Amino acid sequence: MTTSKKATKTFAERREELNQALAWFEGDNLDIDEAITRYKKAITLVEELEEYLENAENEIKKLSA
Amino acid sequence: MSPTFSVSDFVASLNQTFEYAYNSVVIVGELSNLRVSKGKWIYFDLKDENASVKFFGTVYMMPGPLEDGMMVQVTGTPKMHPAYGFSVTAQSITPLGEGSIKKAAALLRAKLTKEGLFAEERKRSIAYPPTRIGLIASGESAAYVDFMKILNARWGGIEIFHIDVQVQGESAPGQIVAAIEKLNTETNLDAIIITRGGGSADDLIAFNVEQVVRAIAASRIPTLVAIGHERDESLAELAADKRASTPSNAAELLTPDRSSVKAQYRQALSTCTSMIHQNIVVTLQNIVHDSRIASMNIQSTLDSRNKELVQARTLLESYDPRRVLRLGYAQVRLANGNTVISARMLHEKADITLRFNDGIVDAEVKKVSVSA
Repeated sequence: MTTSKKATKTFAERREELNQALAWFEGDNLDIDEAITRYKKAITLVEELEEYLENAENEIKKLSA
Repeated sequence: MSPTFSVSDFVASLNQTFEYAYNSVVIVGELSNLRVSKGKWIYFDLKDENASVKFFGTVYMMPGPLEDGMMVQVTGTPKMHPAYGFSVTAQSITPLGEGSIKKAAALLRAKLTKEGLFAEERKRSIAYPPTRIGLIASGESAAYVDFMKILNARWGGIEIFHIDVQVQGESAPGQIVAAIEKLNTETNLDAIIITRGGGSADDLIAFNVEQVVRAIAASRIPTLVAIGHERDESLAELAADKRASTPSNAAELLTPDRSSVKAQYRQALSTCTSMIHQNIVVTLQNIVHDSRIASMNIQSTLDSRNKELVQARTLLESYDPRRVLRLGYAQVRLANGNTVISARMLHEKADITLRFNDGIVDAEVKKVSVSA
């Protein structure tokens, strides 16, 4: 189930999610409980992005003019 | 016996002979008497020290503006026109030699600059990194191999639509233009990359051909042109939205390096960890500080209450009737228990009780004297 959920998100979508997660940490007065929850989510996103970066391959399609 | 023809038959026969013997010829010479008619037809001569040949063609096959005196190479078909005589119908004209190539490029550059084709404000950005790109390159070339090698090393997940074209020679401009037009029919392409390795001015001439430069400028999809050479920029590069110095450099400009991106993500997480840690430290410091303040407040309140208690106790003690009794006074009460606070409450023989500090005495009143 987790795999199919991962597959529905593109790299750009995950990267945007990570950017948002990281941006939250730049705010003032972090709530520690929420910070920990968001940090766990950020770790998951980074791991997914790393997995993508390690495994993604370029695909060549030949066309004729 | 010599053959005999009518004029028309002779022209037809001659053209048959030309077609058989010289279906397509390449002639090199100096351009002279170049003129354009009705914005569509061109007429010119090619000459050398001893001869001159007439040519006819259309403006569409010109590589750009040309001038008399340039050395050019013309591909065409010799024909004897029934009314106008002999000429070669040109299919392509290519400047020849570094001087002519540079001169032609300079003329075209001036013309297209005037039209605004190279203006900075026309340049568009390319999605970074892209997810779908078109690639126009010779599939056999080192440029193609270098581009793909660097692209694969740096990034993944890109769909590449490759059109194999010749990047030099007579058919190169037409193939490149057709490839640009074909890729422009594809949807959601982030960029079109046109690349080849370095070479001489002759090798790179396709990238200074007007049709190629215009096709790049007109591309709906942003373009990146990478020609591997060090010196003069080609007009194709000037017309592109972005230029790269080599095919490898094109791949570098298009994509980040995946290992450095991973490092950036880890660094960002590390920063978050530091922020959480810092936040915990500050929170703990606040708790300690607050508890100290609370402790001090409690102590202060206790001291204050204690002081009030001592004062109350002292006051209370001052009200204790036994304190007065200890000084030698006695409390007088009637038999009914009422305290005697006036001599007028007594009469002779009345029974009274005297309460001292250390005991009680029953007594009888002998005489009452009331002060005035």
